[in-house]
Order: sequence, then C-alpha cells, then structure tokens
Amino acid sequence: MRSAYLYHLLHLLLLVAHPSSVSSWKRDEFRNCNQTPFCKRARSRKPGSCALIATDVVIADGDLTAKLIPKNPSQEDQEPINPLILTLSVYQDGILRLKIDEDPSLDPPKKRFEVPDVIVPELLNKKLWLQRLSMETIYGDSEYSSVVYVLDGYEAVLRHYPFEVYVREKGGKRVVSLNSHGLFDFEQLRVKKEEEDWEERFKGHTDTRPYGPQSISFDVSFYGADFVYGIPEHATSLALKATRGPGVEESEPYRLFNLDVFEYIHDSPFGIYGSIPFMISHGKARGTSGFFWLNSAEMQIDVLGSGWNAESSISLPSDQNRIDTLWMSEAGVVDAFFFVGPGPKDVVRQYISVTGTPALPQLFATAYHQCRWNYRDEEDVENVDSKFDEHDIPYDVLWLDIEHADGKKYFTWDRVLFPNPEEMQKKLAAKGRHMVTIVDPHMKRDESYHLHKEASKKGYYVKDATGKDFDGWCWPGSSSYPDMLNPEIRSWWAEKFSYENYVGSTPSLYIWNDMNEPSVFNGPELTMPRDALHHGGVEHRELHNAYGYYFHMATADGLVKRGDEKDRPFVLSRSFFSGSQRYGAVWTGDNTAEWDHLRVSVPMILTLGLTGMTFSGADVGGFFGNPEPELLVRWYQLGAYYPFFRGHAHHDTKRREPWLFGERNTELMREAIHVRYVLLPYFYTLFREANMSGIPVVRPLWMEFPADEATFSNDEAFMVGNSLLVQGVYTERAKRVSVYLPGGQSWYDLRTGTVYKGGATHKLEASEESVPSFQRAGTIIPRKDRFRRSSTQMVNDPYTLVIALNTSQAAEGVLYIDDGESFEFDKGAYIHRHFVFCDGKLTSSNMAHSAPGKSQFSSDCVVERIILLGLSPAPKSALIEPANRKVEIGLGPLHLRGGWSPAVLTIRKPDVRIADDWTIKIL
Amino acid sequence: MKIQRIIFIAFMFCIVSIGRSASIPSKELLGVAPEDEKYYKASSSDTINCRDGSKKFTKSQLNDHFCDCLDGTDEPGTPACPNGKFYCRNRGHAPLSLYSSRVNDGICDCCDGSDEYDGKVNCANTCWEAGKVARDKLKKKIATYKEGVTLRKREVELAKLAVAKDESELSKLKDEEKILKGFVQQLKERKEQIEKAEEKERLQKEKEEKEKTEAEEANVEKSKAVEEADNQEGKPTESTNDDKIGLLENSHSEQDLVQDIDIYGNEGSPNNGVEQENGDSADQAAKEEKSSVAYETRLDHGSEISHDHVSKLEKDASENTESLSREELGRLVASRWTGEKTGQQTGEVDAANDDDHESHEERPKDVQDEEYEEYDSETEDDSQRYNADDDAEDFGDEDHGDASSSYKSDSDDELDLSDITTTRNPSWLEKIQQTVRNILQAVNLFETPMNRSEAAHVRKEYDESSAKLSKIESRISSLTKKLKHDFGPEKEFYSFYDKCFEFKQNKYVYKICPFKQASQEEGHSTTRLGNWEKFEDSYRFMQFSNGDKCWNGPDRSLKVKLRCGLKNEVTDVDEPSRCEYLALLSTPAVCLEEKLKELQDKLDLMNKEQPQGHDEL
Repeated sequence: MRSAYLYHLLHLLLLVAHPSSVSSWKRDEFRNCNQTPFCKRARSRKPGSCALIATDVVIADGDLTAKLIPKNPSQEDQEPINPLILTLSVYQDGILRLKIDEDPSLDPPKKRFEVPDVIVPELLNKKLWLQRLSMETIYGDSEYSSVVYVLDGYEAVLRHYPFEVYVREKGGKRVVSLNSHGLFDFEQLRVKKEEEDWEERFKGHTDTRPYGPQSISFDVSFYGADFVYGIPEHATSLALKATRGPGVEESEPYRLFNLDVFEYIHDSPFGIYGSIPFMISHGKARGTSGFFWLNSAEMQIDVLGSGWNAESSISLPSDQNRIDTLWMSEAGVVDAFFFVGPGPKDVVRQYISVTGTPALPQLFATAYHQCRWNYRDEEDVENVDSKFDEHDIPYDVLWLDIEHADGKKYFTWDRVLFPNPEEMQKKLAAKGRHMVTIVDPHMKRDESYHLHKEASKKGYYVKDATGKDFDGWCWPGSSSYPDMLNPEIRSWWAEKFSYENYVGSTPSLYIWNDMNEPSVFNGPELTMPRDALHHGGVEHRELHNAYGYYFHMATADGLVKRGDEKDRPFVLSRSFFSGSQRYGAVWTGDNTAEWDHLRVSVPMILTLGLTGMTFSGADVGGFFGNPEPELLVRWYQLGAYYPFFRGHAHHDTKRREPWLFGERNTELMREAIHVRYVLLPYFYTLFREANMSGIPVVRPLWMEFPADEATFSNDEAFMVGNSLLVQGVYTERAKRVSVYLPGGQSWYDLRTGTVYKGGATHKLEASEESVPSFQRAGTIIPRKDRFRRSSTQMVNDPYTLVIALNTSQAAEGVLYIDDGESFEFDKGAYIHRHFVFCDGKLTSSNMAHSAPGKSQFSSDCVVERIILLGLSPAPKSALIEPANRKVEIGLGPLHLRGGWSPAVLTIRKPDVRIADDWTIKIL
Repeated sequence: MKIQRIIFIAFMFCIVSIGRSASIPSKELLGVAPEDEKYYKASSSDTINCRDGSKKFTKSQLNDHFCDCLDGTDEPGTPACPNGKFYCRNRGHAPLSLYSSRVNDGICDCCDGSDEYDGKVNCANTCWEAGKVARDKLKKKIATYKEGVTLRKREVELAKLAVAKDESELSKLKDEEKILKGFVQQLKERKEQIEKAEEKERLQKEKEEKEKTEAEEANVEKSKAVEEADNQEGKPTESTNDDKIGLLENSHSEQDLVQDIDIYGNEGSPNNGVEQENGDSADQAAKEEKSSVAYETRLDHGSEISHDHVSKLEKDASENTESLSREELGRLVASRWTGEKTGQQTGEVDAANDDDHESHEERPKDVQDEEYEEYDSETEDDSQRYNADDDAEDFGDEDHGDASSSYKSDSDDELDLSDITTTRNPSWLEKIQQTVRNILQAVNLFETPMNRSEAAHVRKEYDESSAKLSKIESRISSLTKKLKHDFGPEKEFYSFYDKCFEFKQNKYVYKICPFKQASQEEGHSTTRLGNWEKFEDSYRFMQFSNGDKCWNGPDRSLKVKLRCGLKNEVTDVDEPSRCEYLALLSTPAVCLEEKLKELQDKLDLMNKEQPQGHDEL
C-alpha cells in the first residue's frame, strides 16, 4: 500500500518535471568508462608504459612476421609473459594490415575471437606477396626498424625497439602510426588464481567473466590531420571533438557498443545502435588517411586533444599536425588496417575493398517510404494509401511495425487486423507499391509458435552462461535469440522468408530488422549478457557489436533466396557493423521530433556514409514526440536528400501523414517529396557509384573539396553526389540562412536558378518552400520531371537534363539505368551514359564496359528537355546528330511544379533516346 | 508509330461514341472536359493562351507531350504537365477529372479506360457495371436523404418549441427568483430577529438558572431534556416538506410539460436520463480521484517537495530495478516505449490515470483492487464533504462498490426538474406570498417568552423558501447554460442536449453525450475521452477534447463525424492516432436539403451520361 502510494507520488512528480516525456534517457542505466574496468584501466595508463619490443622479424608466406616480447626479461618471481605474434600484410591500393594475437603454439586457455565473414574473400586476391624487407636505423634509434613496400611512394615501418608500426611516405613523412605513445597493452588469457575475482557487476547484473581480463588497447596517430571522422554510431558532430586533453572536462570516450537507447540525446559520445570501428583523418597538409580495427567487442575510443600528453617525454616528429587517438577493446585480437589515402575517396575505396561494396538497392527503395508504429489494420493501410493518391503525393513503400504480427511472433499476422495480407499487398502492388514488415530477432518463447519450437528443438538459440537457452524479455515477453554467428542457423533463418514459410508474404513484401543490437529489456544495459554463449564457445562479449550484422545478413540472404537470386533484397536494419553495407539500409534509430535531432541527422548520416553505410537516413519528423508543422516540413525538405527517405512515428504521437496539417503544409511536403522523385535518376546513379566504389551518395563537403579548409568541420551542409549541395534549415522561423559554397566555380540555386559565387559564405533569405540547395557549375544532372504515384510508373517517362555550365562553358554528368530490380546488372544489363558539354556541343557516350554475350538492358526513354544554365549568348536552335534534326531553343520553366518558376534556356523536345550515342550542337 | 496508335485509339473512341454526342474528343481535345472545349476551339488564331496567362502555345503544341504551360493548359490529355488534369467521360458512370500523373501510367483509373492509351495496358470499359452499382448506391443514399430531410424538419420544429418552452421557463423562473429572493430576505431578517430575541431570553434564563443551580442541581438535567424535546418538536420535518412538493406536482400544467418533454426524449434511447447520470458521476468521480491524490500528496509532503526530492525518488526507483525480477525489469523497460504500465514495483504506475486499458490486463489483480480500495475510501470522504456542501437531495441509492457510482453530477438537472418545474404553478408563489405575509404579521417579537411555535414556523418557512430558491437558481443556471450552446443553424441539434449515444466495441462501451462529455467504459472503469468543445467543419463534426491524459501522449480527444441517417446512432468508433478517437454518428440532423438536391443532380447527370442502348430509366 505504502509503496503503491509512493509510486503514485513519483509519477505525479515526474509529470510535473517533464510534461512532455515522462522518462527520457537514463544515463545511469549505461556504463561509463569509469564503470568499465578495461576502459578505466586503459585510460589511466601513462604514455610510454608499453614495454614490448619486436624480435624474430622475417618474411614468411608473403607477410612480415615478428614476435613481441617484453623489453626486460621477467624477474624470476614474476610469471613469464608469453610473446605475441605480429603479422604485417600488404594489399593493393595502399592497405596495410596488422595482426597481433597470442601464440597459438603456446596453448592459450582459449582461442581469441576473430570476427568472421566481414572481410570480403576478394581481398585475398589483392594481397601483395612481400618478398623482402629492408632494415634501417631510424634517426635517433639504436636498434633497427624493418621496412616493407606498401604502395608506390609509401612504406610500412616496424620499429623494433620500442615497438611501433607506421606507414610513411617515401620521403619520410608519417601517415598513420600505432603505439607511437607506448600505450599498447594486450591482456593475455591466463588461468585464474585462487584469490582472484573476475566477476563484474553492474546494476544488479553479474558478468561471470569466466576467461578473465583479455582487453587490448593502443594509441593510433594520424599525421597531417586537422580533424578525425568516422567511428559511428554517435549522435554528435561530423568532425570528432576531443574527449581528453586540455580544456576537455569529464568527457567520455566515443563508445562503440550497440545499444537500444531510449530517447537518445542529440549530442553525446555515447554508443547507440551500431558500430563501425573505422576512423578517417583529413587535413590540409597531408590529405586523408584511415584506420580500421576489425573487432566486435565493446570498444572505447578517445580522441586526444593536442597537449594531452604534455607531461610525457615522448616526442614525435613535430613538423606535422597530428591527431592522437586511444583505442580500447574488451576482447578479441588486433586485426587492424591502415589506409594511406591520400584523398578522401581513396580512403573510402580502400576501406570498401576490405569490407565490401554497398548493395545496389532496388529503385523503389530509393524513393519515399511511409511508416508508422503502427498502421493498425487493412482498412488503415487502404486509407493511408488512397490518401496519398488523393493528395497527389507519391510514395513507394508502406510499412508495418510490430503490431501487425500475432502477439509479436514474427512471420505471423494478427488475423483480426490483417485477415488478408496477400490481398492487401497485391492491392498496393497493383499501384506499383511495396510493403515492408518487421522481423526482429527476439523470438517469443511460446510453445505454439512453430519457429520457437523449431529453434529450441534444434538448439539454435544463443545460450546463457550456464548453457541453457538464453531467455530475455522483449516485445513479446519472454524471448530467445537465434545464434546468427552460426552459418547453419543463418541459412535456416534465411529459409523462413520463402513464400511457403512466410505465410501471407508476396513478392512485393520486404523486411525490416529492428531491435537487433540485440535489445533485451531486462538485460544489462538493455542488451544480452556478455557471458552468453554463441556457436563455437564464443562469448557474447566478443561479438556483441556484430550480432545485428549477422542477423541483417541472414535476413538479406533470405530475401535473395526467396527471389531465386533474381530479386535484390531490401532489408532495413537498426544495428550494424563494418560490412553491413553489403546487406541493405540502416537508419539512425529512435530520434526525437526536435530541431536538434533534425540538425544532428546530417553529421550522423555523413559519418555513416564515410564508413561504408551509404544507404542511411533518419526518421523524418522524429520518432518520439509531435513535430510542429514547420519542423515536419523542414524535415521533409531535408529528408528528401537523405539516401534513405522514410517518415516514421511512435505510436503515442499524433498522426502526421503529410496531408494532416492544412493545405499549405500539405503542398510544401508534397513538393519536398516531389523533389526526391524528380531527382531519382540522379540518386539511382549515385547508388550505383557507391555500389562500384563505396563513395557515398551523400558526402561531407570536404570529400568533394578536400583542399578547402572551410569545409572540414562543416556538417550543416552536404553534397549529394558531386553536383548538388544541400543546406538544412535547423531553426524555427528562420529568416536567413548562411550557406558556405565551396570551390572556385559558381552554384545555381535549384529552385530559383540564381547563380552564386563559390568559395564564399552567402547569407540567403530562408524560403518556406525549400531548404537551400544548389547545383554546382560544371555538372549535368538527369531528372524525371513528370510526376507519378510511385517510382514504378516513372520507368518509361522521359528525362530532363539540367546542364550547369562552368566558367569555361563546360559541364559533365553521368546517368545509370538498369531494370531497377534484378541482379542482371552484374552481368552487364545496364545503361551507363556519360554526358559531356563543351565547345557548344553536348555529347552522350557509353560508359558501360559491356562485353559481348552478356546480359543486355535497353530503354525506350527519351530526353524531352535539356535545360542550359549559364550559357551565353542565348542561342535559338540546336542540331541533333546523327539524326541531323534541328530543334528549337527557347525559354522554359526550370521546374514544372511549385508555382512560380524562372524561365531558363531550354532545348525543347530533342527526343533523343537515352540509350543511344548522340550529339547536340548549339547553333 | 506511337502517334499512329494514339490516333487509332482516338478513332476507335469516335466510333464507339458516335451518334451520342456531337463533341467528339479529337486527339487535340483528349482529356478536355466538354465545358472547356470551347476554350481550345474559340481562338481563331493559331495560338492559345495558357489559362494562367503566363504564355501562349500553338495549336500544334496542344497535347504534344511537352509541357509548355505550367498550369497544364497545353497538355490536358498527356502526363507531360504535373499540374494538369485529365478528364474522362466515363459514359454510363460519372465523369472523372484525374491528376495528369495518372495518364498512361499503366493503371486503369477511368472506367472507360481513356486514361491509358499508349498501348502498354489494356483497360476494359467497366463504366456500365460500375455505373450501375454507383447509381444504385446513389439512389439508396437519395432515399435516405429524402426521409432524413423530413425527419430533420420535424426535429427542427420540435426544437423550436422546446427552445421556446425553455426560454419562457427561464424568464418565468427569473421573475420568481426575484420575488422569492425578497421573501427569503424578509424571512431571514425576521429569523435573525427571533434568534436575537431567543438569545436574549436564553441569557436571561441562564442567569436565572445559575442562581437556581445550587438549589436545584438534581433537577437541572431533567428540565433540560424536556426543553430539548420541545425544541425538536418545533422543527420542520421531512414529511411535511415532501407533502407539500407532492401536492404541487399534481398540477395540470406540470403534467403537460412533462409530456412535451417526453416526445422529445423518446426519439433517442429511452434510458438516456439515467445513463447520463452515470456518465456524469463517473466523470465527477474521476475528477475527485485526481484531486484527492493530489490532495494527499500535498498533505503528506507539504511544501517540502523539491527537485532534490524528485531526483531522490527517481534514484530510488532506478535503484529499485536491481531488486526486480528479470521479467519485471523487462516489462518496465518495454513500458518506456509503449507507455504501458507494469505493475506495482516499477515505480511507473500512474496514480491519477487509472485508465490505460492495456495496462489493466498486465497489472496484477490485487494491486488493482488495492488501488480501487484506496480510491473508494477517499471518495467516500469526499462525497461526504460534497454532500454537506450541497443541499440538493441525495439520490445515491445504488452502491456499486466502485468509484464511479455515487456522485450526483453537477451538470445534472433532470432530477431537479420535476421539483423545480412545480414553480410554474402561479398559485404556488401566491401561496408562499400569503404564508410569508401571515407569518411576518403573526410573530410578535416583543412577546416574552417567545411564542415557540411562531418562531419555528418562521424557521421552517425560511428553510423551505431558501431551499426552493437555491433550486430555482440552479435550474436557472442550468437552463442558461443549456441555451448558451450552439445547437446548429436551425437548432436541429437541440434534442441532443439530453441524449447520450452508446456504442459497444469488443470490451469497450463508448458513451457520447453531446454538449457534455464522451467516455469509454470497460467494466467499472471509465476513461474520459473528452469534454464537449464545439461543432466543427459546418456542423459535420462534433469535437470533444481535454479528456484523460494519455501516458506519454496527448490528452484524449474524440471527433464525431456526423452522417445523414434515419436514426441517431453511433455506427463506429476508431482510434486512428493514439488517444485520438473518431466516431461515426448517423443522424437525420445532418440530412440537408441542399445536399439532397446535389445528389439528385448527380444522379440525373449519371443517367444522362449513359451510353445509348443501355438506358436504365
């Protein structure tokens, strides 16, 4: 009675304190570095405390190998320290790999975990078989260093005494180094002593830690760097702020530990849903380099502000700007990659060649998605679908959240709410639309649930520390989690997506993987206990950050199998790891309807793009809370440029479909969505570029303008491809917006056609109708200006080319087209055009390197309109070759929608086929 | 090739519709509505203006698949202009104006298939079948409207009478109030005078008695008892009061009135009056619950509640999670996203809102009961307070054992009605007037000792008159409140004032009382969905807002969509967005004559547009 009363009181008080959100982020529910023994220990180590030296350096099997042993032989009363085995390998295009592990021949208590299935098998083909190493005495050293070739102009150096590894330019300038500050530490597995207590306790949870301490930490330095970026996922700035050093108070390291964080805050180094331990540095002096540590245990990374080591006696070559970082992980091995760059795109390509290229999404998946927790029943679905048509707002995908399933048993339907799921999907499909349902990893422990029965019978669940099926609490209540580390279980899971197994699914249905961190409501830090056991005796602590990755992988594989390997999968995942780009899209999880969350979505998405996850977006409108119409409109205007563009909302929020806020707001949101549809050909081309090179669809400005220092920490604006610059509007009732337009060329306002000078900051009047967006002079953007219900109906529509000429009256652009669905493009079934405008002539030429006998793709689409920006003097007509046909040039609108539109030079109806070679000569 | 095909299709179109209409849509006029054809034909020159005046285009640019006018004037028949509209005739059915984005998109939108002419899909002409279905539906709707319009007219007539009645009652009551107030004032003065005299007498007596005390100590008790008994006898009793009212109720005019009101009431559900009582009292009870909890909080902690306190409590709660079982912890955490409550231990139990139905299922039974007990005891206290302050008679005869039963609603007046309306009888006032005069004359203030029966009479009259006055006042205020409402342009919603509409859906019963409140009941628990706010969207919606707060969500609200129907009934309740409800109420009150005309015109048009040989009528 008393306690009940207390809770009433508590609730009442909470209501008073936070009228909008009763409970928000509970900081104390999650460990900070001080509560994490390995992190606390590593952080307190003094520079120079590493006492290892490299010996026995040889070339073997194309690698450089060595042993790391203590500088001073251990005293007799101390336990002898086993030597560690070090391996350096080199791969094409500037990649150095460093592995350090215990010596297996010395019989350690357990094999340390190496993350499987992340590195692509093709990497092996790129291995350079080292033949020789040269010895060299670095200035000031008394001992030798071993030097091997990395890339023309680059060498890797293993310094023996003290132990250090780095990549340098031939001239001697360092690029990236490891253990230059002597912070390297490797806790070797050992037998527990009697008096020792290895258990760790946190908030009522006990981690048995049967294998004891096994953490690894080391420092990594980036030379010639002004900023470091990467290591998602954090809600924070693009350029990573220092977490330690002078002026930094009480800051946590950037944490990489996949967690389901309720109402995460918009500026924090705290780890959220996914982890990619890949950092990129960029600076004016040297360019770009990268460092990637393949390790899926909990990781903490400090960015050390300059002067952090003022008391240390170690001095590094001082002629270069340098950023030092400290990397700490709870378990695993050192398997690290150094990327030499030297350009931003080079580093991304190097990383991608290790972890794989992003999947090419189906065309529909690059269009607009409409989601809500929850569209309740078939009537609701039909209603929402028809309202989009009624308001002439296109959309491609309607989503169903957890309530669609029967008791949150995924792969089933609540048959009261969804009596005819096939019918429902077919109705959508008839309009060219698709559906997505959610499938989470927690499986309800319910004997009547066939999947649970099967999984428990086959022993397919992750086990707890005692060896029983792990039983945690999630949406359905008591749940277990399939062990996705095991390829056999992944393949079993994949089978569940076949049309026979997933009753009620049709070919237009795709999948959403949520809660795959994994989220366990009653687990430590809302996730699985670290001592839970996976396939092969692997502890959950060792692979935690990759659990969601394997789950995503298994689901995507399932859709590939379902479609007979003919249909590209679409799977959205919340959790991710290095390599997730091969399996589908991610989003930034449960954000909030606040301006700050709109703002932080940009650095978050840019960071994801830099680290391979190009197909990403944030919930438009914000998941929690109710956005004011203005915020919602601004979010649509910005979200239209996210690679993954989806509106979503929590079930406690008001409905917020685009037509619910009055006619004017409906119009504004419709136009925002239309912008995305108009630009779909451009976006799809960019997705293909990412698919080939890893270069992300949306990019930080410095990726396109690496020498322009003003761009290095700009995360308010971003590039879409190399041709568009977008600046968000992040404040309420903004009157003016400052936009920095980089480079020497001008920029054309996408809406007004107004031309702005590059290399300057412009104070622009904020328009209600769009966020500032610009086309860079010297580029050609392909558009489709006709509007349809969904991308499906746009397939045969004609193109518009928008040519923005630079100062030398030239421009170029690319267009990629394929069937938008299948894997035939892999066999050459695509159209890849290169448009070049120069000397008053527009030429379309083939970029595809298709070999004869391969699959073909053709299109009857024509170019209906060519817009010429910046052409002078204004011509009257043009001649099409080889058809030898004359067409007129007149003034036409820049856009076909949005009321007022400026008149621009337009080639009317050239009607040249998009697939053909042709030239249009301005007369 | 493509153009040839278009021409061919256009040609086929001509043949099909030959003889029917002289205005055959040529290729140029594809997608143009008949009334717009002259716009394109009128110009004798080779150019046509864009409707928005922005520019001109040549006739050869009409429907040439290139958008020249931003408003789509030049491309009525193609998808080239995003702002364009495509007109399909749909002979046999109703014509349709489509967004031009639907033209040649592979989806058959027009039942005549005219929107898909590029040969990529083959759309069958389904206008005849679809038209028949639509016409039948329309006819049915028209029939409903016809009857509905009549019903509505009657309703409007009745409303006029009822309003007039209520208004005249109000003005009468106001007059009576004025007079009665005077009497009461007089009686009050007289009563006070008597009391003063009595007090004087008492003091005198006391003095005397004090003197006698020592001598007659043994007799004091006895004499006092006698005195008190005497006093008792002199007081007015319940029975006389009742008798009087009963007598007055029998008057003829009163009965007529009741009949009139009945005509009204019977159209709705028969037991509305009582139902509403419950709704109101539940509503009241909910308020009481809240205030009592708040009250208790204040009592226990006074002004000491500070931020420290809050954070300490928060801390306690979060530390408590350590002692939770794994399952409880899981539920607790899940509840953050879902807003569901998770039982006693979680520290998230919502004290004030015992209304989250989902949570009821989750919550252990005993906890629930405990809480109800708590509420019960609190509400009992409150009810006593409440009753003590209110001199309205106690009608609470049921004991449901839950919080929602025992309140007399403040907005309720039905029970008072029979009593108060007795004041309509003019003789009643005269009677009082007479009585008062008599009393005032009869009581001799200077007589000593006081004439006890006279004094008692004054008191009784005063009590009765002031009770009557307060009833009249409350009736006046409720009538004034009622008449202030917006009952629609023709007061067609007047009868809704005394009605509640119910709808059962699964385990819930929805109760909608226009101009008052709406609620959702599940067993004994009631959730307020909102208080009456207003009509919206030209009386097509009723809005109730500021209902019980949703956990982590908005205050509940209900929109009621009104639809023409022959009976007043709720046909559906839905919750499209969490805690925002939408009900569908069919009622003759919205069967508008204009709308009927509109529907008839539409039917006429459909009949006219039927292809030859298929004429239905």
